[in-house]
Amino acid sequence: MNLLLDPREFRLLDGLRLNPRKYFQGRVRGERLTKKKGISIEFADYREYTEGDDLRHLDWNVLARLDTPVMRTYQDEEDLALHLLLDVSPSMEFGDPPKLDTAKQLGAAIAYVALNGGDAVFPRALGLRQQTPRPLRGRVGYPRLATWAENLKPPEQTAETLSKALKAFAASSARAGIVLILSDGLDPEAPNAIRALGGRGHEVWLLQLLSDVEMDPDLEGDLRLLDGEGGLPIEITANGMVLKEYRKRLQAHNEQLAEAVRRSGGRYELIVGNKPMEKVLKDVLKRQGWLT
Amino acid sequence: MSFQNGAALAWLIPLAGIIILLYLLKMRRRDVRVPATFLWPARVEEIRANALFQKLRPNWLLFLQLLALALVCFGMARPQTQQKGLTGEITVLVLDSSASMSATDIAPSRFEEAKKLAKEAIQSSRAGDRLALIEAGATPKVIFPLGNDQAKQVRLLDAVKPTDSEGEVGDALRLAAALVGTQDGARIVLLSDGVFEKVTNFTRGKAALVYKSIGDQDDNLSISALGTAETATGRQLFCGIKNHSSKPIDGSLTLYADGEAIASTKVPGIAPNGQWGHTIAAPAGAKVFEAKLTASDMLKSDNYAVSINDPGASLRVLLVSKGNPFLEKALFLDPRVTLDRTTEVPPQEMGGIGGGTYDVVVFDGIEEQPVKARGVITFGSPGPSSPAKATGSAAKPQFLSAEKSDLMRGVDFEGVFIEKQTQVQPTATGKVQAETSAGPLVISSERPDKRQILVTFEPLNSDFPLQVGFPILLANALDFVAGGNSSQALAVKPGQPFSLPWTKEAQLTGPSGTHTLSPTGSTLVIREAKTVGKHALKLGETTKDIYVALKSDRESNIEPAKNLPLGGGEVKATQTPLRFADFWRPLALLALLVLAGEWWLFARRS
Repeated sequence: MNLLLDPREFRLLDGLRLNPRKYFQGRVRGERLTKKKGISIEFADYREYTEGDDLRHLDWNVLARLDTPVMRTYQDEEDLALHLLLDVSPSMEFGDPPKLDTAKQLGAAIAYVALNGGDAVFPRALGLRQQTPRPLRGRVGYPRLATWAENLKPPEQTAETLSKALKAFAASSARAGIVLILSDGLDPEAPNAIRALGGRGHEVWLLQLLSDVEMDPDLEGDLRLLDGEGGLPIEITANGMVLKEYRKRLQAHNEQLAEAVRRSGGRYELIVGNKPMEKVLKDVLKRQGWLT
Repeated sequence: MSFQNGAALAWLIPLAGIIILLYLLKMRRRDVRVPATFLWPARVEEIRANALFQKLRPNWLLFLQLLALALVCFGMARPQTQQKGLTGEITVLVLDSSASMSATDIAPSRFEEAKKLAKEAIQSSRAGDRLALIEAGATPKVIFPLGNDQAKQVRLLDAVKPTDSEGEVGDALRLAAALVGTQDGARIVLLSDGVFEKVTNFTRGKAALVYKSIGDQDDNLSISALGTAETATGRQLFCGIKNHSSKPIDGSLTLYADGEAIASTKVPGIAPNGQWGHTIAAPAGAKVFEAKLTASDMLKSDNYAVSINDPGASLRVLLVSKGNPFLEKALFLDPRVTLDRTTEVPPQEMGGIGGGTYDVVVFDGIEEQPVKARGVITFGSPGPSSPAKATGSAAKPQFLSAEKSDLMRGVDFEGVFIEKQTQVQPTATGKVQAETSAGPLVISSERPDKRQILVTFEPLNSDFPLQVGFPILLANALDFVAGGNSSQALAVKPGQPFSLPWTKEAQLTGPSGTHTLSPTGSTLVIREAKTVGKHALKLGETTKDIYVALKSDRESNIEPAKNLPLGGGEVKATQTPLRFADFWRPLALLALLVLAGEWWLFARRS
C-alpha cells in the first residue's frame, strides 16, 4: 500500500492540528475543544448548583469552605469537518512531477493531520463523476484515504469543470467546515465558485498548484493551443508580447483566486513547480499557521 | 533616366506574385496542448503566410518584402542618368605627351592642361569606376592599368613629363582599344591637341571614343632646315624658318659652329605658312652647326636645330634584301643610319666608284653587285666585286677562330648555329677576320675608295640574329665601312631610341637632367634623350655629344584639330562629354536596409 507520505513527513505531521479561523459546530464528540460547555478534562467555569445537576461535578472544596454548592463546568470537545476537494481534471496532469501527484500528497498530509486530531475528513474528487466516499474519522481512516487518493486518475475528457464542481459542492448539504481545495485553479469561474463556498459558511483553504511551464511557458512561433480542459482551441503567435500578456493574465487570475479566498476568511497559497513536500509543510502549512 | 537592363523589371511582377501567394498560403500551425487556453490572448501576428484564400490583410512584413523586391529589381535594371564628365565606368585616358603639347597657348601648357583634366577625371571617378592611363609619346606607355586606386593614379599621373618627341597617338589608341575595346560601356578619352599623324588601322570596338581638344592658337615658328652645301664660293650654311601660324611672326636667329656663335640675325615677320631662309659661309673645319630661334611663338622645342657635318655621323644605308626584320631593326637602332630598303639595286647606284646616293649598301642573301657606295656589307653570296670568290657551300660548320680586330671586337661566334655557309676563296685584298671549319666566315677588304665586308652566311640561315653579337657586328661593320672610328657627335630625334655597342654603365646628361644607363648584353640602348638640346653621353673615359632636335613639320604645325578622322569616322572635339551614371549601388544598399528592417520586425514579432 502506498501511503503517499514517507515516515519523515508523518513524524513532521504528528502532533499538529488544523487551525481554522472560524468556529464550526461539531456533530459528534471529538478532540477539539469548543466554546460549548461539555464533558472534558479542560476546566471552563463555575456555576450555581441547580437541582438535578450531576454531583460528580460539584466542587466540594468550595462547598466546605463557603457552604455554597458550586458546580465546575468543563469545555466540550467536538470534531471538525475537513472537506478534502482534490482537483482531478486533465489539466492537473501537467508539470513534472504532475501537479496531481503533489496535490495528492498535500491532501493526504493535511487529511492525516485532521484524522490524527479527531476531525472528520470528507474526501471528494473534483472533475470526476464518482460516488463520494464515506467520511473518515480517526487515524485508522488514513489508509483508506491514501488508497482513495492513490487510485484517482484524470478522465480522458473533463466531466465537470472546476467551477461547476465547486458550485455543486456549495449547493450540497455538506456540513460547514474547512474546504481544502487542491487545484491549479485554471478555470475563469473558479473565483466566483470560491465566493459561493464562502457564502455557505465554509472556510476555504486553497492550495493552488502550478507547474513551471505554466508560470513561464516556453512556446514560440505560430501555434494552435489545445485546451487541456476540453475548451475550444485557439491560434496564437507565441512571441514576446503574447507571453507577456499571458503572464499578466495569469497573475491577475491568481490574484482573483486569492482575493476570493480571503473574502471567505480562508487561506491561500500558490505552490509552484516541484517544491519539496517537507519544505511546503514547514514553510507554508506550519509557519503560516495552517497547522498548529 | 534610362535602363541598361530593362528586362529585369519584368521579374518584379512574378516575384511579387510569389511573395503575395506565400502570404495567402495557409500555414499549418503546430498543435500544443496547454492546461487552459483562457489565459492566452488570441493574438495572431501575420509574420508568415497564414491563411489560404482569405483576404490579404495589411501587413508590414509583406510591404517591406515587396519594397525590397522592387528595389532589387529596379537596381538590376541598371537605371542610369546622364551626367557630364570625362569618365565612364571603364575609361582609358590617352594623354598626348608629344612636342606640340608643350605649346603654351593655354597656360602653363597644353600638356599641363591635359594632365589637369586627367587628374580631375581621376578624382571625379566613382567608387566602381576603373581608369587606365596611356601616355602617347614617342612610344605608347601604360602609366597605370585599369583600376580605381585614385591616390596611386594621381601620383603616377604627376610623374608623367612632357616630351619633345613626335607622338605616336595611333599606337596609343590601338593599345587603348586592345585594353577596353571588347567591354560594354567602355570609353577611350583622348586628351590631345590633335597634332599627330593620321591614324589608320584603328577600330575602337565597343568603346566610345571621346576627343577632348586642347589648345586654341597656332602661333609658331620653327627651324625647318639647317644644313651645309658645297658651292662655288665654298661651304655654305643654310637655315630655313617656317611660320606655321595664321599671322606674321618675327624673331631672331643665332647660328653656332662647334658651339661658337657665328651669326645672329633678325627674322622678319614671315607671312602665314611662309618660309624664310638665311645663308652664311660655314667656317672651315667646323663639324657641328646649331641654330637657335627666339620668337614670341607658342612652341619652343622646334626653335632649335642641329646639323653635323661629319661623314661618320650620318650614314645613308640601302638594304638590298627580300626581308629581314632582324637586320632592319639592328640598322634602325644605329643613330647614324638613315635606312632605305629595296629588293634589287637601283641602276643609278650600280657601277663605278663615287657619285651614288648611299654611303653604304648592305646585301642580304642577294648576290653582291658593284655599287657606287663607298661601303658594302654582304651577307651570304659574294659577287664579282667581293673580296672573295665562292667555291661551294658547307652545312653546319663549326666556328674556329676570329681575329682580334676592331671589326670583331665584342663579337662572339662561339656556339652560333649556322645552317649553311658559302665556302669562299679570299682575293688578294681580302683579309679573313673569322673562320669556321668550312673556311673564312668574315672577310674584310680595305681600299682607299671602298671598304667591304663579306659575311659568308645569311643571318636568317642561323641563330646569329638572336645573339648579342649581331648588332655589335653590324655597328662595327658600319664603323669600318664608314671610314674608321664612329663619330663623336650624333644627331637624333627626341625620344628616338638608339643603340651603341657598350658593355658598361653610361651616363647621359642633358637639359632634362642626368640619366644612368645600363647596357643590355653588349648593347647600350638609349631612350632617355627626349628633350631638345645637346646631351653628353659619357662612355667610360670618352664622351659623345648627342644633339637632339625636333625638326618635325607635323609637330610644329600646332593648330589644334577640332575634328579627327578616327576609328572609321570623324570624331568631334567635345567640351565635356556626357556620361551615364549608374545608381544601382544606392538602390542595392537601400534594399539591404529594407531587408534589415524587415528582419528586425520579424524578430521582434516572433
